[in-house]
Amino acid sequence: MKTKIGIFICNCGGSINNIDFDAAVKEISGFPDVTSVNLSSDLCLEEGRERMLSLISKESIERVVVAGCSPEFKEQVLCKILEKAGMKRHLFSMANIREQCSWAHEGDVTGKAVELIKMAVNRVRLLQPLEKKWLPVNREVLVVGGGFSGMSTALQLSRVGLRTTLLQGDDALGEEAGGLESFYGVDRGTAISAARADKNIKVLTSAWVEEVGGRVGDFSVRIRKGGKEILRKYGAIVVATEYQTKLAVNPAIAASSNIVSQQQLRSMLGDPGLEKEPKSVAFVFDFSNENSRFPTVATLSNALEAKKKWDSEVYVFYKSVKVDSEGIERLYHEARDCGVVFLKCEIPPTIVTENGRVRIEAQDVFVGEDVTLTCDVLVAEDVYLPGEGGENLSSLLNVRRDSRGFLQDENVHLYPVASERKGVFFVGECRGDSDLGRVLTDISSVVMSVHDLLSSGKALVDVERVKADPQKCVACLTCIRVCPHGAIQLVRADNSKEVAGISDLACYTCGVCAAICPAKAIRFQGYRDEEILAQIETFGESLDGRDVAFCCEHSAYHAADLAGKLGLHYPQNLRIIQVPCAGQVDVFHILKAFEIGAAGVMVMGCEEGACHHITGNTRAKERVRYCNTLLQEVSADSRPVAMFNLSPNAPHKFVEAVKEIARLMKESGR
Amino acid sequence: MIIAERKPMEEIKQFVALYKKVLVAGCGTCVTVCWAGGEKEVAMLASQLRLATSSEGKKISILEATVERQCEREMVAEIKDKVAEADAVISLACGSGVQTIAEMFEDKPVFPGVNTTFIGMPEKEGFWVEMCGACGDCFLDRTGGICPIVRCAKGLLNGPCGGTRKGGKCEIDPEKDCAWVLIYRRLEKQGRLDVMRKYYAPKNSRAVKRPGRVQAAKA
Repeated sequence: MKTKIGIFICNCGGSINNIDFDAAVKEISGFPDVTSVNLSSDLCLEEGRERMLSLISKESIERVVVAGCSPEFKEQVLCKILEKAGMKRHLFSMANIREQCSWAHEGDVTGKAVELIKMAVNRVRLLQPLEKKWLPVNREVLVVGGGFSGMSTALQLSRVGLRTTLLQGDDALGEEAGGLESFYGVDRGTAISAARADKNIKVLTSAWVEEVGGRVGDFSVRIRKGGKEILRKYGAIVVATEYQTKLAVNPAIAASSNIVSQQQLRSMLGDPGLEKEPKSVAFVFDFSNENSRFPTVATLSNALEAKKKWDSEVYVFYKSVKVDSEGIERLYHEARDCGVVFLKCEIPPTIVTENGRVRIEAQDVFVGEDVTLTCDVLVAEDVYLPGEGGENLSSLLNVRRDSRGFLQDENVHLYPVASERKGVFFVGECRGDSDLGRVLTDISSVVMSVHDLLSSGKALVDVERVKADPQKCVACLTCIRVCPHGAIQLVRADNSKEVAGISDLACYTCGVCAAICPAKAIRFQGYRDEEILAQIETFGESLDGRDVAFCCEHSAYHAADLAGKLGLHYPQNLRIIQVPCAGQVDVFHILKAFEIGAAGVMVMGCEEGACHHITGNTRAKERVRYCNTLLQEVSADSRPVAMFNLSPNAPHKFVEAVKEIARLMKESGR
Repeated sequence: MIIAERKPMEEIKQFVALYKKVLVAGCGTCVTVCWAGGEKEVAMLASQLRLATSSEGKKISILEATVERQCEREMVAEIKDKVAEADAVISLACGSGVQTIAEMFEDKPVFPGVNTTFIGMPEKEGFWVEMCGACGDCFLDRTGGICPIVRCAKGLLNGPCGGTRKGGKCEIDPEKDCAWVLIYRRLEKQGRLDVMRKYYAPKNSRAVKRPGRVQAAKA
């Protein structure tokens, strides 16, 4: 197929000075399908772009390559401009001849720049146009959990005009045990009556989720309430269930009536008919929890109250007092001023019961001595545990839990409230230890995210950016099992056989599915096999040996850019191929790269535990390992292929990795 | 579904050693699903063979083709030109597919690229377990839908043996469930434990006359 490819080379206002642009233009001009090569110095400015657009229309250019700075800066802007000018979407590619060429190497790099532009041309030639379209989304939201977080979320969503169903497992709203907000002087009652009265909120008590189907914008949820089954559609699901607590004391004495929780002490303090006021109260806290802001607040307010109301002797055994939330420093000083005694310990005190009292043995690190004291009531530390039913809910929603069982995987890209599935969110205590500040931030974040997603009732998507070819799909379910975002399900294509259907809205375009599909049925526009391989074929079997680095666009690609910006030099024979995720790199791509003539291959993804696509980088690591096995099977001289994990701000690590592969290559004698 | 796994590379290399042009033929059905012989594995094996031969300084050209079901003559016929072009074929299909090609192209040496292992199902992504021994005399009505012939290490018809471990595991492999414990639990759930009281005489292994033949009811 003949096509007209226009190339626009920009010297970035003169900041690229080790490329002979005239020679480059000359060399590229004769390249197949290239009908126009233009040199400019201001493509990031209005004038430069206008000139580009007028050339495109004058010369009827169908596909465009821009060579200049990293796509990080202008790719999206240029895409939009080209689209506006009436060009078909997605027939555009960039050659990063600045950060990853000119600035990354010393001396003349004209040869490499020409090769990078040719790679982009070979890719752009194969790209297929992408359509955009609006998909309808359901504007109703399901909020699971009718505690403080759930009620507040529903109320705030109502305020932005979104209707919710508020689901509560117990028989009344706000009846859960956490009680976090009460220590901050927030009244649950107001929220309960507001939620009950709100027209946008449908409250379902004694109800729970039994089945969740569909996906973002169109979840279908089966709810069980009493003997009744309710089937409803929602655009998004917010989980706001609460945690459970357990006292951090020896289970043998946990049931003693004088070892209580913060919540129990609070009830005692509010009980006008309390039989006997304790003469002495001790608190232990900050030995078991990561976030002890809330325990600090609970301890300080209870300690003050005990002092004021009962005039008890009050002792606080702590590791550190976290005063970094509003008003806590003041509370701490107030407690000290009215005679609360603070004892700092590094190791948790030993607690034993004797003669109806509680004895605490601790090592005070300030005094440097052992302290033993006996008190009437001990307020033990609460350990926070995942709420009941969390495991079930996570499997219904098809989301992962963290290592402690709380509802949100430990992945930095999910924080604060997202899950790996679009349209499923978590707020408050279901995510783990919490304090009011965090709960309120969670609520605001979730309301903003849900509003963005659903408020217009429609969402703009790329049509079939990632698609399983119904002719080739054998419905093996592999992609459905591996999709990190739960975006794939079995569908009937044209009412015939069942095939994998990838939701344009739920898909995060990581390509993990495409790399694993055994039938090679999944096509990811822009990263199809032919588009990847065409880039490698550009240089083929160069005499001086090219190393290929498949760089994740979220991490390694940025790190490489940064290396260029900082002038950290690395060998010129490196060719970077940008991929959406390390998990998109297929074993077949690596083998093929060697077959075509690559000297070494690197797969570079995000740090472990920080993959944008959750499992992409761990899958990549597995694949690289497998690839090494396959290569060892067939070749006496080992070909270096290695996986590197790095963050986007790790240019030094990037350069080290490039040098490492060069070293491996030398070792293997290639 | 039929499960297979790729043969060791050493074996495959020996198969192709004598030939100049080799076709790697995949199958788009069972072996695609079990990641052993679909289009992806064909591409990977072809790539490996090219790398192998180039590193050994030989010149072999490797062709690739995948048909929807290699056990169907009509579908295999679609790649007849490629087969004709090649000196030999490595089939990544189950034994049935290998034989279909071999029978259709009697002048071509056809080699199996996979070992056909069993009839099974996926337990999780990329992991398959044996479920059926294709014994030709199905016993599942008496065992709550759990086949003791392949899932019991001893293939007992009247289990369990005396060796069940604590936790319902097999004495031969503590990783594996004792099929008879599973059967007991299943029948218990259905209130059909009486089924286990009956003694079953050894199976008639002659039920399957080799080679097996099945004639479906005429439509």
